[in-house]
Amino acid sequence: MDIISQLQEQVNTIAGLAFNTFGTLQRDAAPVRLSPDYVEPPANGNPPASAAEDAAAANNPAEQPKLMSAELVKAAKQFDLLVAALPLGEGEEAQLKRIAELQAENDAVGQELQKQLEEAEKELKQVQELFNQATNNCLNSKKPD
Amino acid sequence: MATATYPPPPPYYRLYKKYLEDPSSAPEPPPPIEGTYVLFGNTYTTDDVLPSLEEQGVRQLYPKGPNVDFKKELRSLNRELQLHLLELADILIERPSQYARRVEEISLIFKNLHHLLNSLRPHQARATLIHILELQIQRRKQAVEDIKRYNVSSILEDFNFVLEGSVRHVSVQQFHIATALTSNELTS
Repeated sequence: MDIISQLQEQVNTIAGLAFNTFGTLQRDAAPVRLSPDYVEPPANGNPPASAAEDAAAANNPAEQPKLMSAELVKAAKQFDLLVAALPLGEGEEAQLKRIAELQAENDAVGQELQKQLEEAEKELKQVQELFNQATNNCLNSKKPD
Repeated sequence: MATATYPPPPPYYRLYKKYLEDPSSAPEPPPPIEGTYVLFGNTYTTDDVLPSLEEQGVRQLYPKGPNVDFKKELRSLNRELQLHLLELADILIERPSQYARRVEEISLIFKNLHHLLNSLRPHQARATLIHILELQIQRRKQAVEDIKRYNVSSILEDFNFVLEGSVRHVSVQQFHIATALTSNELTS
């Protein structure tokens, strides 16, 4: 994919990561303590069944912000890399000048090609003519027995 | 059940009655349309240019001017974006009800980013054109070289040599026939 499309995809990826990050954090956040007077509800003390579930449950609220923000920063760095890879050397006038030069050169080479082609066709005709003469001679000189 | 019939062919087919015998008796195809045109109820324009941000009602964050330094502006917009995301996170912690303005600013930055990238497309098109022209010049030069390499004049010399050989062969044979005939005549 060309570099500009890659850049556009990267911008969309950053946007997607951003709203996924905020949405997930908002959805999975613990309730906020309103005042020291209100009693906090008893914490849910059921131990998870397996070690894998334990790992997933423990990682989710604590590790998620770190993972997601790391992803976001990685995507932003990738965007910077892509920007650095942009082949943006010349300005518009320089490009237009180069196009005019190339067109002129293209026309010149095209005309030379045309000339060479015509000469080659002429020579081809000559060769064909000579070939006809030679074969005619051979045919005429063959004595019918 | 009523089915709709196909529309009839356009009535100017009669003008092409004698096209096979005389191609110039039929009218020329219509010239290309310029300006705006209406197609299936929608208006389209033939002038495809990227509308500037002000026309879309979006504030332009990068400096306007004849030559915009795209790389620098893209990088600074990226950094602005990250800062605004952090600001949004902070606002959600302290004053969650004031998220709207931050979200608006973030979407503004995204629009500016996409507009910058879109304005790079004409540059890309010109670069593609330059590349194609260079390839074409290379191909044509290669063709000229090929024609010169299969040099036909050398083949012509070989051919003349062969022809002279056959001409000599023919004249020798004619000489043989002539002598045989005369000897026949002499003996008969």
